Amino acid sequence: MIQSLANWILSFDILSGLGYSISWGLSLFVVSALIFVFVAVNAIVLVYIERKVSAFMQVRLGPMRVGKFGMLQTVADALKLLQKEDIIPRMADKVLFIIGPWTILIASVVTFAAIPFSETLLAANMNIGLFYVVSISSIVVLGIVMAGWASNNKWSLYGAMRSAAQIISYEIPVGITLISVVAVVGSLNLQTIVQAQAGVGNLFHWIPIPLPNWFIFHSPFLFLAAFIYLIGATAEINRTPFDIPESESELVAGFMTEYSGLRWALFFLSEYANATLVAFLVAIVFLGGWQSPFADYQGAQVALAIMTLTAGMWTAFVKTKVGRLSIYPLGLSLALTLSAWLFPGFAIWLASPGLFWMIMKAATIIFLLMWFRWTFPRLRVDQLMYVSWKVILPISIMNLMGVAVWMWLTGEIQF
Amino acid sequence: MSYISNITNAVGTLIEGMKVTMGYFVRPREHVTLQYPDEVWPVPSRNIGVGELDAYNTIRSKLTVDMNDCIGCKACERACPVNCIHIDAYKGTPEDNLQITSNGTQVKLLVANFIIDMSECMFCDLCTHPCPEDCITMTPDYQFISNDNLKTDVTPEQRWRDKDLLIYQFSKVSEEERNRRKAEADEAKKAKAALMAAKKAAAEKAAAEKAASEQAATEKAATPEVSEETARAETEAEVIKPSQEVSPAPEEATNPINVTFHEKSSAETETEPAQPDVVTEKPDESEDSTAKESENG
Repeated sequence: MIQSLANWILSFDILSGLGYSISWGLSLFVVSALIFVFVAVNAIVLVYIERKVSAFMQVRLGPMRVGKFGMLQTVADALKLLQKEDIIPRMADKVLFIIGPWTILIASVVTFAAIPFSETLLAANMNIGLFYVVSISSIVVLGIVMAGWASNNKWSLYGAMRSAAQIISYEIPVGITLISVVAVVGSLNLQTIVQAQAGVGNLFHWIPIPLPNWFIFHSPFLFLAAFIYLIGATAEINRTPFDIPESESELVAGFMTEYSGLRWALFFLSEYANATLVAFLVAIVFLGGWQSPFADYQGAQVALAIMTLTAGMWTAFVKTKVGRLSIYPLGLSLALTLSAWLFPGFAIWLASPGLFWMIMKAATIIFLLMWFRWTFPRLRVDQLMYVSWKVILPISIMNLMGVAVWMWLTGEIQF
Repeated sequence: MSYISNITNAVGTLIEGMKVTMGYFVRPREHVTLQYPDEVWPVPSRNIGVGELDAYNTIRSKLTVDMNDCIGCKACERACPVNCIHIDAYKGTPEDNLQITSNGTQVKLLVANFIIDMSECMFCDLCTHPCPEDCITMTPDYQFISNDNLKTDVTPEQRWRDKDLLIYQFSKVSEEERNRRKAEADEAKKAKAALMAAKKAAAEKAAAEKAASEQAATEKAATPEVSEETARAETEAEVIKPSQEVSPAPEEATNPINVTFHEKSSAETETEPAQPDVVTEKPDESEDSTAKESENG
């Protein structure tokens, strides 16, 4: 994406004098800024959605007073956080205290460079993309330990230590489940992994139900691996039921106890960036990435039309807790059409439905994470370790072997 | 085998829990949230009163006064245990257009000021019962937030300066009229005070003269047989009260000076019972103050 952007900049007569290196640097900056803006806006939207989801699950209304249905609530909250006093405790290790949240944020934002949002929308097409994502997202634990240690607070230190123990423990099953997918594809390139899931096939190779060739339908083992990865990833991003590093009832706020204002907002930002990253990774590795579920179906258009019609009927006639939704799909489609007419480049993006399907899949996973969060109680520390080392790790190792056996049985690989 | 059964049990219960939350998420049902300023809980309307107290409500909240019925008797002000009611009533004049209450009583006083400080009110309901016209009542209106509360400058102490919005003015008399009436009343009061001060000063002078003559008489009578004790007591008394013109003898327990003064003062001044003690101890100061008062008046 960066190279194509650089070439696009040079294609203009006025800008052709810039030279390739400058235009490359410029496009690098633009792409990084885009990713950062995506992460920030994403966090604001997700916080709102999370509050609404939790409210509906608890028979409440959630934020209702700032904007229509409280839609501007998180914007107001963000503005409030930016205005707040920035406190550094007197006995804190100032350097680490300041570096900690930035380390976490950078580690969680930088991983988005390797995520293919669509066929073309990919910042850096690395041949070790998956490895890059997993390894860089592990740097988050470094930032958490920094923040916890620098705060000079027992709660913070406990939270940081728990977090380190938890993330390191759950990294192993997560890595093994990802390896089981890599074993099938034979590549660490995320774009290659997505492209390997194109087309339609039978469910679990033999059961005659036509389904997309996504890896979650590849074999029972990979089906299980998807859920194991989801569980492990939930633990890695410190979300409930694995939120013992910041368990409110025990450690106040864990490693972010001493933080306030902008730095605290950075923690929040990175938390939701991590959740989004996990959702994207699940979508890429197990759910076919930007591949449309109707890609090769005969009459996919019909299916899509029926789906849209049903959704439209539902939104128009069903009165939900937030009121009748009929106006929102209408407005959205109108805005999309208008922007497609105004910006032809945007129309090209729209024509390739990769981004849409990618975001839909990621949104489903994020909703699943929220569903987990507002349903499950928190695990104890020893329970957490038990689940990691005694349940998930053995299952994931057996799963890896099962995948190998399955591939030998189905004839995908020959010895 | 408890290992596997534990895992299956855990997965089963987790799925069950997720079913429950999803059920609440999807089901279109009534929420428990009350959008407070837009929706409010209904106030229970049942009355617990019997017979005469039939209108006695379970909820006692904001106090209201029907100013058409108020006769300015200050019964509620006296009944209030926390002094949250302040009434200024002046003698009515023909221009005030005083009316007849719903009970048939002719209003004789102009109620220029009727303030209820709801920040002090403790909702005891004691003020409503003494009211002869039943014009002060407790209402079930518990929402004190509104724009039509009037700020007033009439609070005796300005300690509630941050709670001014909880001070309710019920009187419809205009501020100019109120100020005029107040000035008139103050003038009358000051004139009366000046008069009384003059009388008091005269009485004091008379008492002091009388006391001096009596003292002289007793001293004359007592000088031949002065014992050591009484002499010492006398000197002590002089040391303690050097400013006193005439120091009475300590053995005179029933001081004739004070008795006479009390009788006179109680007859003259009704409102200032604490004054005589001060006067007897420091007559100079009291004279000065009364002189000042008379000058000001």
